[in-house]
Amino acid sequence: MNDTPVEKMSFEQAMAELEQVVQKLENGQVALEESIQLYERGDALRKRCEAKLQAAEEKVAAITTDAAGNPTGTKAFDAQ
Amino acid sequence: MEGSAMTTALFTHSDCLEHETPEGHSERADRLRAIWKALEDPAFDALDRREAPLAERSELLRVHPEAHVAAIEAAIPAEGYVSLDADTHVMAGSLVAALRAVGAVVSAVDAVMAGEVKNAFCAIRPPGHHAERVTPMGFCLFGNVSIGAKRALDHYGLERVAIIDFDVHHGNGTQDLLWDEPRILFCSTHQMPLYPGTGEPRETGAHDNIINAPLPPMSDGAAFRKIMEEQILPALDDFQPELVLISAGFDAHKDDPLAQLNFDVEDFVWVTEKICDIADKHAGGRVVSTLEGGYDLESLAASTAAHVKVLMERGA
Repeated sequence: MNDTPVEKMSFEQAMAELEQVVQKLENGQVALEESIQLYERGDALRKRCEAKLQAAEEKVAAITTDAAGNPTGTKAFDAQ
Repeated sequence: MEGSAMTTALFTHSDCLEHETPEGHSERADRLRAIWKALEDPAFDALDRREAPLAERSELLRVHPEAHVAAIEAAIPAEGYVSLDADTHVMAGSLVAALRAVGAVVSAVDAVMAGEVKNAFCAIRPPGHHAERVTPMGFCLFGNVSIGAKRALDHYGLERVAIIDFDVHHGNGTQDLLWDEPRILFCSTHQMPLYPGTGEPRETGAHDNIINAPLPPMSDGAAFRKIMEEQILPALDDFQPELVLISAGFDAHKDDPLAQLNFDVEDFVWVTEKICDIADKHAGGRVVSTLEGGYDLESLAASTAAHVKVLMERGA
């Protein structure tokens, strides 16, 4: 498990660990009593990935919705 | 009412408390104590209460090879715990508890087949539906419900036995033990993804004798009822079982700490009634239900009591 807190992970870090979590759950490589914690970790990673994707989409939208269809730069937005 | 078939039997034994698990372990003796306490209510006075006998070795061998039984026996320590996997631990009292658990199911099948009672509930631990042919796992040592089903087929000559498993975890053990058994229809609902990772719809058994109907995390009782009504109940009706067994795990309850389905007590009442409908139609009402999981003591006790109450109403 990556030591970086989930809320500080890059998209790539979160996605890589999420893939490991899914593989473990699907392969039954995890104990019954730990299965739920692993699922919850996976859920947190999924949310992190979604947040990063959404931030990227907003950035793209900020570029492409500028006047007259001409990219003139990016607008400031809240997402980190 | 003694001697009448118009009743429900409760099979259990205090030896099932003697399978102690390490401090903090979810599958603990207090689960059974909580169920017993709930069943002390006067509403359950009409239960035909019976002590579970120790299962004969020949019963275990209906689904497990001799090597598995010998390995479990050999693993039992004189003191302390031995861990068979990350979840499954045995100590001095574990073997006797496991033999009572199997004995309960075997005797419940006998009582129902003999017409002594209409249906039966087995309040037992350790549970059984994760135990594979040679692999104890997920708190389980022997395949309790599978052994009962095999006895009904091979001792009583039944041709069709159904098992419905609504425990929140997939019954991988039951699936493993009965994969190549065309006389049994095994139907499982369970959360996916979750332990043990099996239970995809594409896992259908060697004879299309297995139906796996997984539910995504956070599914509620409405989703459960839908999948039962659309997939499992019609298949059971077509199969026309002569005896219906239930792997009754109550860990799909919304308060359970080991999973994320959101059933409530009424959903367990509903499914019990639907299963009894199938049994009434095809099996002369014969139902044997066996405890599997359920790890929140309050909801476990309430759900089990409600389940047994339906059995009593339908057995009366």
